[in-house]
Amino acid sequence: MRRSRKTRTVRRKAGARARPPRALDPVTLAVLSKRFDSITTKMANTLLRTGRSGVLNLAKDFSTSIVTRDCELLTGAETLPIHVLSGADLMARSMIDLHPVLRRGDAFLHNSPYHGGSHPADHTILVPVIDERGTHHFTVWVKAHQADIGNALPTTYMAEARDVYEEGALIFPCVKVQQDYEDILDIVRLCQMRIRVPGQWRGDYLAMVGAARIGEREVLAMAEEFGWETLHAFTRAWFDYSEQRMIAAIRRMPSGEARATSTHDPVRGTPPDGITITVGVKIDSDNALIEVDLRDNPDAMPCGLNLSEACARTAAMIGIFNSIPESVPTNAGSFRRIRVHIREGSVAGGGRHPTSMSVATTNLADRVTNPVQVAFSKIHDGLGLGECGPIMGASLAVISGRDPRHGNEPFVNQIFLLDTGGAGAAAADAWLTICHAGNSGMCFIDSVELDELHFPLVVKERRLVQDTEGAGRMVGAPAGYCEYGPVAGASLDVVYTADGLRNSASGTRGGLPGAPIRNYLRGADGELKELPGIAAIQLRPGETVASYCAGGGGYGPPHERPVHKVKEDVEEGWITRQRAQEVYGVVFADDGDADMQATAARRAALAAAATA
Amino acid sequence: MRFAVDTGGTFTDLVLEDDKGILHMFKAPTTPDDPVRGILDGVRTAAQSFGEAPEALLGRGELFIHGTTHATNAIVTGTTARTALLTTKGHPDMLVLREGGRIEPFNFRVPFPRPYVPRSLTFEIPGRIAADGAILEPLDETAVLEVFGRLRERRVEAVGVCLLWSTVNPLHEDRVGQLLAEHLPEVPHTLSHVLNPILREYRRASSTSIDASLKPLMSRYLGGLSRRLREAGFRGRLLMLTSQGGVMDAEDLTQAPIHAVGSGPSMAPIAGRHFARLDVRADTAIVADTGGTTYDVSLVRRGSIPMTPETWLGQRYRGHILGFPSVDVRSIGAGGGSIAWVDEGGLLQVGPMSASAVPGPASYAKGGARPTVTDAALVLGYVDPAYFLGGAMKLDVALAEDAVRRDVGVPLGLGLHEAAAAIVSVATENMVGAIEEITINQGIDPRGAVLVGGGGAAGLNSVAIARRLGCTKVIIPELGAALSAAGAIMSDLHAGYRALHYTVTDNFDVAGVNRTLAGLLARCRSFLEGPGTGAAEHSIDVVAEARYRHQIWEIDVPIPFHRFEGGDQVAGVREAFHRAHEEIFGFGDPGSAVEFVGWRATVRCRLRGRGLGRLAREKGYRVKLPSSRKAYFGDTGLVEARIELFDALRPDRPLKGPAIIESPFTTVVIDPGAQVLRKRSGTLVITP
Repeated sequence: MRRSRKTRTVRRKAGARARPPRALDPVTLAVLSKRFDSITTKMANTLLRTGRSGVLNLAKDFSTSIVTRDCELLTGAETLPIHVLSGADLMARSMIDLHPVLRRGDAFLHNSPYHGGSHPADHTILVPVIDERGTHHFTVWVKAHQADIGNALPTTYMAEARDVYEEGALIFPCVKVQQDYEDILDIVRLCQMRIRVPGQWRGDYLAMVGAARIGEREVLAMAEEFGWETLHAFTRAWFDYSEQRMIAAIRRMPSGEARATSTHDPVRGTPPDGITITVGVKIDSDNALIEVDLRDNPDAMPCGLNLSEACARTAAMIGIFNSIPESVPTNAGSFRRIRVHIREGSVAGGGRHPTSMSVATTNLADRVTNPVQVAFSKIHDGLGLGECGPIMGASLAVISGRDPRHGNEPFVNQIFLLDTGGAGAAAADAWLTICHAGNSGMCFIDSVELDELHFPLVVKERRLVQDTEGAGRMVGAPAGYCEYGPVAGASLDVVYTADGLRNSASGTRGGLPGAPIRNYLRGADGELKELPGIAAIQLRPGETVASYCAGGGGYGPPHERPVHKVKEDVEEGWITRQRAQEVYGVVFADDGDADMQATAARRAALAAAATA
Repeated sequence: MRFAVDTGGTFTDLVLEDDKGILHMFKAPTTPDDPVRGILDGVRTAAQSFGEAPEALLGRGELFIHGTTHATNAIVTGTTARTALLTTKGHPDMLVLREGGRIEPFNFRVPFPRPYVPRSLTFEIPGRIAADGAILEPLDETAVLEVFGRLRERRVEAVGVCLLWSTVNPLHEDRVGQLLAEHLPEVPHTLSHVLNPILREYRRASSTSIDASLKPLMSRYLGGLSRRLREAGFRGRLLMLTSQGGVMDAEDLTQAPIHAVGSGPSMAPIAGRHFARLDVRADTAIVADTGGTTYDVSLVRRGSIPMTPETWLGQRYRGHILGFPSVDVRSIGAGGGSIAWVDEGGLLQVGPMSASAVPGPASYAKGGARPTVTDAALVLGYVDPAYFLGGAMKLDVALAEDAVRRDVGVPLGLGLHEAAAAIVSVATENMVGAIEEITINQGIDPRGAVLVGGGGAAGLNSVAIARRLGCTKVIIPELGAALSAAGAIMSDLHAGYRALHYTVTDNFDVAGVNRTLAGLLARCRSFLEGPGTGAAEHSIDVVAEARYRHQIWEIDVPIPFHRFEGGDQVAGVREAFHRAHEEIFGFGDPGSAVEFVGWRATVRCRLRGRGLGRLAREKGYRVKLPSSRKAYFGDTGLVEARIELFDALRPDRPLKGPAIIESPFTTVVIDPGAQVLRKRSGTLVITP
């Protein structure tokens, strides 16, 4: 009922304001919105199925979207949140600013965090969609995390780089890479001279351009069918509709304000206690507005963790959309009801060249998203989530070396062997495989068989670990354990940049923290030696690296978790009986059923202790 | 003589093709406590109509083709076997971790899916094979036997075995299979490399677990069906529908019952495509099958049966992956038996629960008290209480009126007819929503498409649905009331075989590939000599699964020959790959080597040498119906609607609504303003 009323609102507005050549009835509005979505999906499928590096074709660490001629985000719902919410708009804007004359057949390579990019590892192809008369109507956009970008070390995450020079990445501030649908080979050769395993990069580049060209072709076909003016009328109507949905959603939330903090582990270039991010969140239900304030944060630091503007804004927006208890379209329309305040020159957005932002999409960005969703939970029990687990231990390392099975062919790639990290939410237990807050579970986890097929390694173990969940009324994800090493006759370089050894994911509203991240080297003698948070190691045959990924924080006090759920947690081996009793206050009788009387007493004691 | 039987949630449809090629259609209520009884009831009804003993009729049958929702229902209702999964030591959480992936990144209200086999029934088996097939660690048989002890303790009823790299070296998996057969002979098991030899352990483990969990139940069901059909005189061949839109021998299906999952509705698009082509020369059609319980929709585009490469039970990333491709049909809980109710917020809801066959709609007078879509249609005058199912079942109008008034009219303050019309409108909206899922949500505009209405309850609101969607034509085939069974009559026998053999174009292993192909073709030939004996014609298609070096997703390249003779053919296949890549993805990389990973051979046997015949004139038509009756439409109120018998409509003489077209199987409502024409094929073509 509610929905049809909104649809009518949209129709009236579109008709009144836009006067499209053909009335935008509700069916056309729905058809066009889905059609744009399906173009985005088709671009994504093309990239997934044609990419050459595992980070694309296994993990799906990429995004696709469409931006209007006014550089407003139109689609990008089912992609990695950290790639899209803000950034597509900024990058498209930089394309127009830097290249005032756009021609059909142009394509641009962009990875500059100083021009709207997320971080240098995310190569982005932008294709302006241009009609026969030369008018620019939309920009299609493909952003993909590369296996290598020519950094000083074989990793795409240079956490300890003092600046962009030490980082070593090639930076492309929206550089024209195709003209008349042909590669500008100078650019391609430049990349091939600097990027490790250049053939792999070139294959991924072809896949990205291919995906963007499919998007272009499909938008042109839509224009053929509906006319450009109808498409533009649609974008206006769709943004209005999305804004109305956002207004309604915010009005159903209580007004309130809260602050929260989250701390990244120290690395070289940060204070000894790491980087603490402070966020202020305000829900203004009456005016249907949500604000996030990131201004109260330190200046940019001489390390690679600084956030680009795109990542800072997006990280805050992810926390917001995660916390709204209903689904609202994420595009420029709903964004009208959001304000994210950042301070230029700070660590949380707006670092200036040559500040390094090598790791901007993950580590510190999560330290923005997590406190935002926690702040929502502080405003009201029923909103927000606990913190998602920090990431990037050895289970998500960039690995490289030579493959003796294929004539010592070189390889480099990020593996996604194991991640968990989901946070307990207001209304549900953790989504187990969230990867990290900015990813929201959209990446895949590698198949062990495919990793073993493509790289000279053996995965000895991959499992979830008992009694490591972020306890709560709604539980955070447990930690996972994996162990891998090179096959006989090979060695393996492993580089990773982990957060969360010291600062694990916090729970909220009485929920307990998730398990920390841990990494170990197992020598040929079987002995385990703990590794630091940031490491570049070489494994020789017989050696393995063992990695525990971080769990997520719980939501609400564990003693409020329904008894039948705790019972099932025990039966399924997620937790031991001992933990059920100590932490959740559920006492079991010998027959395996809960002893309700003893449970009530234990829970009352836990509740009393919590209040005290 | 051929029998095709589709057991739905409410009705069991039987289509019979006699020796002259004439078709006969029968319906009997489904008997959920013992579905075979419903099938035999259908046979009995047919026998009566032929004036023969059921034994004599069945005795003339050569083929008995059967589709059932038994497997799907068991999974949905959680009544599959208590199943254990045996996996490689160190990798117990394959089914929990899956391959990651998520939809709706900002929706934190949906819980993470539970594994198909609980963690407490997953057991690790020591022993490890490497990617190249080498044995890194031998199988520890003592540990395997210890696990068997725990399987006994836990009273496990079926076992799936999925070990890493069993597709490359099946030694360990085979040995575990032997040990299971020896030590737990009464517990059926599935080995992953036998069932579905694909890369990616999660998919294989999922296939394997689902398959194993269905084995006890499906062997019981198929064993019982086969035995009782034989006892009833059938001596022919029992074939089962598969989710891939073909049929296989019942015996073979008991070995791989996963192929029955989702098989019931898979035939409707095959029949729908046939009639859309035949009657309105359309190759794009929305095929909607309205049964008593579910509304199954699919989209035939450019003449292709819609297939989904990654079939999920439930939603993508939230349900379970089947690991096999299947015909893409979406189901929602909406049909003639859908129950109408007013929720606590005062909103009228129809379905998803159904009165099913038992107790059935209120008007069946079998104890059902709640109003259904069928009851609403009766109240509105769309259904004739004396001529429901050709008069086989008398409906009680007073009971329908009471139920509609009590459960919908009074709570909403509506009059009887308004309440009944509201029920039909809400059902229409639900069905429109399901069609939008497969059209608008894929960016396809349903306006201008042809709607093929199948299933017994299709005629009640197909015109309304078509109007809502802007479809230009609705077609209701004569056999529409049993659309899936009609599809089954025209389906092919098929089998597919797959083998892994890796090679690259710049170093192509001609001998190895030819050995692989020869092995696959030998299996196809033995299929032709076994199950395929007597087929009208057959085809074998060979496909290579190929990709550029370092890609991991393969695309299919048809191989137009059965053996590589030399370099020209390798170059030809390589060219074909570049073209296919270009066609699918918009670009090729002609400089890049092409890798071949898997090889598949599919054999299809056409079981019929002739086209589909016409429906016989059944006894149910020999009635005299009044020439009109009062019917209620939302726009016009109560009006006099013309009554015509489906069978008596003269081809090429159009009829204008309001009208109601009656047959022993269905009622087709022609709303005021719509027009209907009967084609020579027997199909009704409606312009809504």
